[in-house]
Amino acid sequence: MEGAWFTFSLDDFSYAFLSVLLEGIPFILLGTLVSGLIDQFLPSRLMVRFLPRNAFLGICVSALLGVIFPMCECGIVPVIRRLIGKGLPVSNAISYMLAAPILSPLVAISTHAAFRGQGAMEFTVLRLGLGFFVAVLAGLAVFHLPIGAVLKRQILESLAFAPEIGSGGRLPMARRFVAAMETGVKDFLSVMVYFVLGVAVASVFSTAVNQEVILPLATNTWLAVGSMMLLAAALSLCSTSDAFIAATFVAFPGVAKLAFLVFGPMMDLKLLFIYSSVFTKRFVAGLAIGLFVLIGLLCVRLAVLGL
Amino acid sequence: MNTISSRFVSAGVLVIWGVVLGYFCISGRIASYLHPAFHVFTAISAAILVLLAIGLLLTRPSGNPDCAEEKPSPLAHGASLFVLVVPLLAATVISPSEFGVTTVTNRGLIENIADLPAFTMPVEPPLPREDGSIGESTPIDTASYISRNESGQIKAQTVDLLYAAAEPTMRQDFENKEVEIIGQFLPARIGNASGDRFNLIRLFVMCCAADARPVSVTVQSRDAKSFPDMTWLKVTGKATFPIESGRHTALIIADSITEVEPPPETFIY
Repeated sequence: MEGAWFTFSLDDFSYAFLSVLLEGIPFILLGTLVSGLIDQFLPSRLMVRFLPRNAFLGICVSALLGVIFPMCECGIVPVIRRLIGKGLPVSNAISYMLAAPILSPLVAISTHAAFRGQGAMEFTVLRLGLGFFVAVLAGLAVFHLPIGAVLKRQILESLAFAPEIGSGGRLPMARRFVAAMETGVKDFLSVMVYFVLGVAVASVFSTAVNQEVILPLATNTWLAVGSMMLLAAALSLCSTSDAFIAATFVAFPGVAKLAFLVFGPMMDLKLLFIYSSVFTKRFVAGLAIGLFVLIGLLCVRLAVLGL
Repeated sequence: MNTISSRFVSAGVLVIWGVVLGYFCISGRIASYLHPAFHVFTAISAAILVLLAIGLLLTRPSGNPDCAEEKPSPLAHGASLFVLVVPLLAATVISPSEFGVTTVTNRGLIENIADLPAFTMPVEPPLPREDGSIGESTPIDTASYISRNESGQIKAQTVDLLYAAAEPTMRQDFENKEVEIIGQFLPARIGNASGDRFNLIRLFVMCCAADARPVSVTVQSRDAKSFPDMTWLKVTGKATFPIESGRHTALIIADSITEVEPPPETFIY
């Protein structure tokens, strides 16, 4: 390898950092504005009413709800907590929680835009398809678990007293729009904190590290897939903009970038903390390990497609 | 922090982001950061952020419990504000709006068109004839990628010459022709035993500068060592495609090399 493996340039770092921020902000902003409107104007009873009674179909439909009712991974946990409180089975809630950040139309658009020239359509379809499949499998696994092994004791005890989601329904229409704006701004600012930190880490990686040094990881499918999932967990990026960062890892095979794009929105460092506010620590740890192994194996298998 | 002061702080952060994004769009600096397809989204976002800030300042809190103010510790709140504001402003001031030699070197030069992420051969695929046999492939119209300067030299891009090195039909359009090409100087570290070569690079961008890849052609000239790294140069000379390391490579035999200002579009897409 020619030259040092790590050569940091503040100029180059700031340039890459700004370029990803400028590109990602519109998608995050749109996502949080939509989430604010959904929060205020979508009654959760509507979702429960239209779900099939059959468990498998219910889980599949719950996972697909992300297409119609997109939520980012940062904002979805409080929502599913309230949905569970109003009777949504935990397995359905888990499949919706894991799938929604990936199946969102915004994520599809941003993934397609980010991978322009790198097989955009294949990446988008595979990301959404694999995200749905994994979310359904996770929901089916949770279906066979006792609820006490999934939800924290405090949550179980408080379910009967949980307030209804969309409590904006009690507000005048103008107030509901104000509340939607407040929710959107709150989501935007909280997501942006994680986004700025994630972009900073990614910018150090993409500018300072001599890409020859990671080639041994990039050329081995197993190592590439595993390392990209760990990177996704460390960066904790928003699913509406993570594709732009994944696309910059041009040395890595497509399946590794796919693993990054499917694993990241389902499990990362910030989500570990957010999930722990609702689920037992043992369940969160099991979910993290299970998703890592399952997505890793599926992506390695997909390597036969030449991605 | 109470609800009112919290709204002022949130509005302040939104205004800072909106103004910074607006500044990049109005000043034209955004062209050095993003593919043109994304400029409009950034401009719209700038306007929405400012409008949201105004909305927060002009409306009363909704009173919706879902929007109730969380109570982070002062330290956590200060840290969040720091992350939201300081890196953006610092980067806006520090960023030179182009990569230096560090990142270009770390990413590695693309000297073979097959290594370009968006690579497709510039040849239309063959279509079946009426009898079912496969016809011949059709080269893309040369007028779509060849234009000439006032002296009649072909105005080439680094990526054109790499395509030509890989594709025989396209190679005929450039081989031994006079070309004019603009790019940035980098010393040639390999394949330069006689010391008379350097690399001329342009950054190829798909979405934003973060995914930029340096596309390089080799220039042969006696003036190879007379420029600082990343200096913008205009090279005129003869395009050749000798076989080196088992494949055709793009090599310009330079007649003249002049230092120039960066072009309005520093990227190639």
